[in-house]
Amino acid sequence: MSFRQWPVALFVAAFSIAAYGADHLQEIRQRGVLLWGADAEGGAPYVYPDPEKPDRLIGFECELAEALAGKLGVKARMVQNQWDQLIPALERGDFDVILNGLEITPQNRQRVAMSRPYYVYAQQIVTRKESHGMTSMDELKGKSVGVLSGSAASRLDGLRVCDLRTYPGNVQSFQDLKAHRIEAVVLDLPIALYYAKPDTELKFSGAAFAPGYYGIGIRKEDTTLLAALNQAIQELAEDRTLERIYIKCGLWDERQASLKEYKAEQIAESKRISTLREWPKYLPMLLRAAAITVGLSIIAMALAIVAGLVIVLLRLYSVAPLRWLARAYVEVVRGTPLLIQLFLLYYGLPQIGIKLNAFLAGILGLGLNYAASEAENYRAGIQSIPSGQSEAALALGMTRWQTTRHIILPQAVRVVIPPVTNDFIAMFKDSSIVSVISMVELTKMYGILALSTYDFLGLGLMTAAIYFGLSYPASIFAHWLEKRLRYVK
Amino acid sequence: MITVENLIKSYNSLRVLDGVCHAQERGEAVVIIGPSGCGKSTFLRCLNQLETPDSGRITINGTTVAAGSGAGNEEEQLRRGLRLSAGMVFQSFNLFPHLTALENVTQAPIVVKGESRSQAETRALQLLAKVGLESKAAAYPAQLSGGQQQRVAIARALAMQPLVMLFDEPTSALDPELRDEVLQVMRQLAEEGMTMIVVTHEMQFARDMADRVLFFEGGRILEAGTPDQIFLNPQQERTKEFLRKVAVR
Ligand SMILES: Nc1ncnc2c1ncn2[C@@H]1O[C@H](COP(=O)(O)OP(=O)(O)OP(=O)(O)O)[C@@H](O)[C@H]1O
Ligand SMILES: [Mg+2]
Repeated sequence: MSFRQWPVALFVAAFSIAAYGADHLQEIRQRGVLLWGADAEGGAPYVYPDPEKPDRLIGFECELAEALAGKLGVKARMVQNQWDQLIPALERGDFDVILNGLEITPQNRQRVAMSRPYYVYAQQIVTRKESHGMTSMDELKGKSVGVLSGSAASRLDGLRVCDLRTYPGNVQSFQDLKAHRIEAVVLDLPIALYYAKPDTELKFSGAAFAPGYYGIGIRKEDTTLLAALNQAIQELAEDRTLERIYIKCGLWDERQASLKEYKAEQIAESKRISTLREWPKYLPMLLRAAAITVGLSIIAMALAIVAGLVIVLLRLYSVAPLRWLARAYVEVVRGTPLLIQLFLLYYGLPQIGIKLNAFLAGILGLGLNYAASEAENYRAGIQSIPSGQSEAALALGMTRWQTTRHIILPQAVRVVIPPVTNDFIAMFKDSSIVSVISMVELTKMYGILALSTYDFLGLGLMTAAIYFGLSYPASIFAHWLEKRLRYVK
Repeated sequence: MITVENLIKSYNSLRVLDGVCHAQERGEAVVIIGPSGCGKSTFLRCLNQLETPDSGRITINGTTVAAGSGAGNEEEQLRRGLRLSAGMVFQSFNLFPHLTALENVTQAPIVVKGESRSQAETRALQLLAKVGLESKAAAYPAQLSGGQQQRVAIARALAMQPLVMLFDEPTSALDPELRDEVLQVMRQLAEEGMTMIVVTHEMQFARDMADRVLFFEGGRILEAGTPDQIFLNPQQERTKEFLRKVAVR
């Protein structure tokens, strides 16, 4: 369940140094407490606040942690930590182990020692009740499919031929599924069991597939702690404590029986892919995603430029109520985060019957947000024109509007070209935020590919090159325009 | 042709115009002199409605605007009418920097009067020739000297064919050696019979060209008369004092 797993965090963590030397099993026993790191935010059914008593944490990993601590002869205490920062926090020594749906993958193994698995997860396709087909990856080809950002599902090779949408949380993907914005959701089975199973509008489509293991993450040098935990998991599997916990939480299936016979070699060792060498396979995917970034940025910026002009004209030259409205718009938009605005447009508006698709919501969100900045740019530009200019125009008999249109705006345009260009280039990069409303643009595609190939460097270079290749011409164009519009050539 | 009745204008508590009355014939050239801050600019700016007076009436060629007559559409039309009959030349030129000299002159006739471009350009070129700048038609203001810019500004105002030209210290921002070329153009205009009101510190110009000189002081016309009356035989103590100061300077 590696949602909220950001490439950047992994990158940083990859270079951070494990500073711990001593074996911590001794220390844990002396302390009498096993500190386990996890993220309870949106963490059902792993570890999450009890809906009835929100100050109490529940979930199968809570029970597991207690059982494990019991085997070590100590108590368990959960330490809250953002999910994508768990490994750096472990390395920093904030807690003793990570127990939070950490997948046993070659990549995680490079950074931390992984215990033997305590749970076998798999992928599940979820569709609307009335949908037909879509029971396997093959049948999802070309369909719009939602996955959790950074999840194991988002790394499935088969999904690359789908119209892939990524979500920051579980609730949003099912909401979009029910709203017919997407056709299916693919996700870790435990999450599906918790969120989708009880939902009468949804159904499991086909059997679970692509199994994998959750294990406990431990600092590499804590070898005796690793041995003790492996021993404890083995015992919990054999004395059927695991089975009891999973049945109680509704997470038991026949796969879990294999936990007893697990051999470490079952997980293939890290195979590194050089995406640079295999660029013909990856570059087109990045470029397709870049096309979305470009399309989105250009249309949104065009909207911002025009809407900003309307706003500033209303603000500076119109009658009282409209003037206040324009001013309020600028203040409100600038005073609230873009993220919230996008959430409102995409997830909020459907509640009052307005269903925008992700691209349209992205354009509106970015465009209307930047419109406020452009309006401010224009206002600064207009007010930088000396008052003698409008006096001269008025003295020649021009009306207010003619003065604005023929004298003020043409001069203000030249003043605002540099800040507007800067905003345009910023928008290129800001546009990656639309990934929160499920769009897969360039940065998101980089994240998806990097997490499935582990080649952060090669893909990172390609992605950076594409961004640069897009924004550099924009700034060249701006320079050229600035020069061309200078009064004296 | 111009009648100003009891014009009053205050900024906050400061009374800048304190009951100015003035009447002027067609073709008459009037020069206004007076110490700094006495309200000369404000008077000109009221005449073409860049400022709204608090009370009083202004009539130019039969169009009357009474202060405090409201902001309705009809009054707005009257104000624009007044503005259209008065051309204004500013101390700081205020040419439009994004337009060439020619475009500076043609812009208002095209935009305001709806003249065709070719018609406007033909006349603009004649006006630029009149101020001695037909060779600079394609130049931008930044490429012109101050004197040249002010002459373009005069041509620009003339292009709207105003009944009266208002000059607010047109040479004050210029180096002394550039002043003559502007004064020369103004002289020529006066000789052609243009109705003019000129605020200036150029006493020689006032003596040569003015039909009448007004001495402003404290927001009023303290003394008025022919150049000879004002310069050779001033009646008021303040006038004498002012003339002594400018003579020394
Ligand atoms: N917009 C304004 N707000 C407040 N006070 C103003 C404003 N414009 C002018 N004044 C004041 O009104 C008075 C008269 O100003 P005005 O510009 O008419 O004087 P002037 O006779 O043209 O002086 P100068 O020879 O220096 O140009 C001055 O004291 C000035 O400070
Ligand atoms: Mg003045």
